[in-house]
Amino acid sequence: MIFQLAVRNILAHKKRSIVTLILIASSTAMLVFASAWMEGSHALMLKNAVEIYPGYIQICDKDFPAATSYDHLIFDASAIEKILNNQPNIASYAMRFESFVLFSGDEKSVGAMLTGVQPAREVYLSRLAASLQRGSYLTTDDTNQIYIGAELAKRLKVEVDDELAFVGSGADYSFTADKVIIKGIFKTGLFDFDASSAFINKKYFDHIMAAQNLATQFVVLPKNPQLAQQVAEILNAELSIKVAEQYQAQSWQQRMSGLVQAMELDSMFGYITLGVIFIVIFFVVMIYTLLAVYGRVREIGVMRAIGTTPSQIMAMLMLENGLLASLSVFAGGIVGGILAVYFEYNPIVISGMEEQFKQYGLAVSSMPTIFMPAMIVRDMTVMFVLTLLSTLYPVLKVNRIPPIEAIHHV
Amino acid sequence: MSLCTRSLIVLLLPLLVVTCCVAVPLVFALDQPAAEIIIQRVEDNLNGDSLVMDFTMVVATQRFQRTMRMRSYAVGTHKSFVQILYPGKDRGITFLKIDNAMWQYVPRIEKIIKIPVSMMLQSWMGSDFTNDDLVRESSLSADYQKKILSADGQMFLIELIPKDEAAVVWGKVVMGVDKGNYLPTKVSYFDEDGLLIRELIYTDVQQFGTRLYPTRWIMLPKQAHKVGHQTTVQISNLVMDSEIDPVYFTKRALKQFSQ
Repeated sequence: MIFQLAVRNILAHKKRSIVTLILIASSTAMLVFASAWMEGSHALMLKNAVEIYPGYIQICDKDFPAATSYDHLIFDASAIEKILNNQPNIASYAMRFESFVLFSGDEKSVGAMLTGVQPAREVYLSRLAASLQRGSYLTTDDTNQIYIGAELAKRLKVEVDDELAFVGSGADYSFTADKVIIKGIFKTGLFDFDASSAFINKKYFDHIMAAQNLATQFVVLPKNPQLAQQVAEILNAELSIKVAEQYQAQSWQQRMSGLVQAMELDSMFGYITLGVIFIVIFFVVMIYTLLAVYGRVREIGVMRAIGTTPSQIMAMLMLENGLLASLSVFAGGIVGGILAVYFEYNPIVISGMEEQFKQYGLAVSSMPTIFMPAMIVRDMTVMFVLTLLSTLYPVLKVNRIPPIEAIHHV
Repeated sequence: MSLCTRSLIVLLLPLLVVTCCVAVPLVFALDQPAAEIIIQRVEDNLNGDSLVMDFTMVVATQRFQRTMRMRSYAVGTHKSFVQILYPGKDRGITFLKIDNAMWQYVPRIEKIIKIPVSMMLQSWMGSDFTNDDLVRESSLSADYQKKILSADGQMFLIELIPKDEAAVVWGKVVMGVDKGNYLPTKVSYFDEDGLLIRELIYTDVQQFGTRLYPTRWIMLPKQAHKVGHQTTVQISNLVMDSEIDPVYFTKRALKQFSQ
């Protein structure tokens, strides 16, 4: 009976019902879309930051991240390889040796990183090959050919096929120098990285830098990148038993914890901003419901006079609002979900923002949303609860009016 | 004692006390050279008008020890030229410093490389000395304010704080100087946060002609990640204040005296 009354009242006051429906549905759609956009763009920033070069998991000496010296190398790379070859949850891995050298072109000398990499393996672990801009990427047969960042090439005033010299220290701290030919130039979009990085085939690098069976780190790609932390823990257990406790495997969440925290902080501020907006919506709905309910004071007074109890009145009014909220939230969730799916595959491009993101070491040119049903359901639930709460006060207030006073209400 | 004598004593005694309080420290201070003069004498003793030096540098790390032999030519504190004589694979590498600029020639790649300012704090030839040490060592007298911290016993302890306009890498330098021969004994280098970064110890003073000179220099890094590192310079031959062919201090010399 109460349910029927609630449905009848919704249909009887069409204008009020439609306005409430539109208000709640659009708010829900906005919340769903904003959450999807925030989380989607953060996920892309982190994915780019991880996949461009650092990788999902890195294995290195425990002291290496804090003090990048030749005293903290991986001194038995083959032992690490043996462990990684027997791991079923790893898709690919590669070793790298990073060193700091002085490059010298015809006109300028610049200090930068020269990293020995395994070119064929590196294709699966980073975006170096995919970032090729001019020339060609390295192969496993290359000798003194290097693959250089676009900004570094600009600083050195060199192009593909030009010759460069470099001087530096070998892994045994001896003086080392060589001439190299630029085989390819890459551009990842990360200015600092492109301005300070060059890569060379590790086989040749080992020869000139006395780095045989040595590495500064291994980069590992798990079969499921979402499980990077769990795989890193498994590797740590294997490393401490089979090689040395001195080596550690760290997931990207551990190594790039600063960036992760920055994204979480950005999300938090985003949700706070949304929260402020929804507080306003809360009071708008409350006031609108108050006006709508006060317009029915006489009706409620008559119902009370003929024997309807206050709790029945309350149940009827809350059921009305609950039904409206459910419909609105459902509609808003559908609209927001459609937008989330669309913009996931057609990301929003904000030209001019690239330079700002570069300052944070992020290569981002577009901002996609992410479609996550669990997140949509969460947002819909939040809006539903918010809507019900906003109607609670008006319902309680009108229910307290004595029946005789209510009947005579104008 | 007569009234006259007592009056004289009463009048003169305070004057005598004040004079002693002022004059005695003044006498001692005047007897002690100013910090600027101490540092100037140290630099004169270390550099002279010119310096030709044969030395061996041993670079020790936790994993390796390397030995290099070199010869250097220097005129004052503004020009120097260094030849690497040993080991064979580094033989022929030359360095030229003129004022604050530095060049290197590597015969293996047949290239003269100018060391940019951004590389000044990088290690020189894999040792615990930096390129900046070779370029900037002359600047102690010009770029620092000096203060004598103590003058007890056989040693002066001088504190050197960079002047505001000086582009130096250290926050503070503390130098121990032997009072007898005005040669440094130990130099401690601190960063801008006051953290001790390294110490350079001068020992084994020997006579070369009329000059005394510390023939053993030990550079000890104090940073945590450089535990076990040490660079030792052992001077085997030294000639000061001789005529050096100015051609050594030209870029042409980098290749000409490479082999």
